[in-house]
Amino acid sequence: MDPKPYIDAAAATLGLQITPEQRPGVTLFFTLAANMAELLNGMPLTPADESGNVFVPVSPDLGEGAP
Amino acid sequence: MSGPTATAIASAVRGGSLSARAAVQASLDTIAATEPQVNACTAVLAERALQRADLIDADPRRTGMKLAGVPFAVKNLFDVAGIATLAGSKIERDSPPARRDAVLIRRLEAEGAVLVGALNMDEYAYGFTTENSHYGACHNPHDLARISGGSSGGSAAAVAAGQVPLTLGSDTNGSIRVPASLCGVFGLKPTYSRLPRSGSYPFVASLDHLGPFARSVADLALAYDAMQGPDSDDPACAQRDIEGTADQLERGAGGLRVAVLGGWFRDQTMAEALTAVDRVAQALGTTRRVEWPEVERARAAAFIISCGEGGALHLDDLRSRAQDFDPHTRDRFLANALMPAAWVVRAQRLRHWFARRVAQAFETVDVLIAPATPCTAPLIGTDWIEIAGQRLPARASMGLLTQPISCIGLPVVTVPLWGCNPDAPHLPIGVQIIAAPWREDLCLRVAAALEEMGVCGAPVATLK
Repeated sequence: MDPKPYIDAAAATLGLQITPEQRPGVTLFFTLAANMAELLNGMPLTPADESGNVFVPVSPDLGEGAP
Repeated sequence: MSGPTATAIASAVRGGSLSARAAVQASLDTIAATEPQVNACTAVLAERALQRADLIDADPRRTGMKLAGVPFAVKNLFDVAGIATLAGSKIERDSPPARRDAVLIRRLEAEGAVLVGALNMDEYAYGFTTENSHYGACHNPHDLARISGGSSGGSAAAVAAGQVPLTLGSDTNGSIRVPASLCGVFGLKPTYSRLPRSGSYPFVASLDHLGPFARSVADLALAYDAMQGPDSDDPACAQRDIEGTADQLERGAGGLRVAVLGGWFRDQTMAEALTAVDRVAQALGTTRRVEWPEVERARAAAFIISCGEGGALHLDDLRSRAQDFDPHTRDRFLANALMPAAWVVRAQRLRHWFARRVAQAFETVDVLIAPATPCTAPLIGTDWIEIAGQRLPARASMGLLTQPISCIGLPVVTVPLWGCNPDAPHLPIGVQIIAAPWREDLCLRVAAALEEMGVCGAPVATLK
């Protein structure tokens, strides 16, 4: 995978300017992350394997005024 | 050389043989004497601390305070009233001063502890070395040419240097356990969501933990017990009652099923890490080995979640003032801001898959042991290390053995061992004592047993 086209497109979309000085580091670290993502994508998951993040609904603080 | 523990100071202040002012002044004096060599502190709060100490000395309720007169310091991502919360950055110098202390500071001070300073760290908690470009590198008190570890490097170094007996830090991927290992102090990373993070600067909300460092297991338990309890300002904080651990330590490790973590946790190491784990296993009388499935992928999941959330958190500053980030973190944060959502979501799904498999493993074992770092502390400025025949980036690799565990929020006590590296016997290395969620008591019991046996310990450094 050549990450450069994605880096350019995503940076432009997000309004990030990547300078020539920053580019080698950004490419290196994005490539490292891409390698990690490849590991994740190599693991078969089913639709039942849901995210570990669980949203907790927030109740209003009604105090004595609760019905 | 051993400095006074929090337990000993509190006992003396409660009993009247030591004033809180004297305890705090001794801490301030040690900070002044050691700080030029260690660089653990970014703020010393002498006036506030002495005023607070005088209040405790004048308070008749101090005889019931569990941490009466105990000086402590916090990583500078904790809010301290009246000063800006730096989180190791230059950017946050422009932030308004915090209006009140972080909840964990308030809870420790409610038991009589006295905040004396804020501590050095990797910028925005993104690093394992505390080679901070804005505030200087934090030096390892046991070998000043070496890193303290990070990102809570100042928190570990301050305890190792004897500046304070107790500090607080944060751990997202290993930032309590790595510096505890490299500086030779005890550290507790509690279960994810156990301690409220209200009033602390986040890094990766899905993975951020807070916890204490100390020179004894009893001090870890004392501080942990004082900090427990829910807080509505941290949406992730568990609604659990306080489950005291300090009164459990004497139960020791007897009767617990203990095993060594194999596979990844044996492979990604240097010889000193295996020596340390094997010594602990021998002391605990276990030869049993347990292997978790897909550990490398779990580490990758923690890595990607950190990238996605950490990058997004700083997007505005990356757009407008990227040049003000530490060069050690800037390019990583820029790359992280570009993470595709599909990668981050998959990482969260795999994280949950892994947590369920590990929970099954804990049905037949109570406590697991593994190295905290692959090696003893590298020299400051080290870019590459070799592990298992692979040349790896030194800074990222310090978390190889901690990331898979914090990924699923398990409680861990790191215990420091000595003399495991024959080429550098003066350097410590830590072993992780790991339990199932909410079983900090088991981690602490085993750690206390090892301390009692003399297998591990946390002497004050002589600064060489």
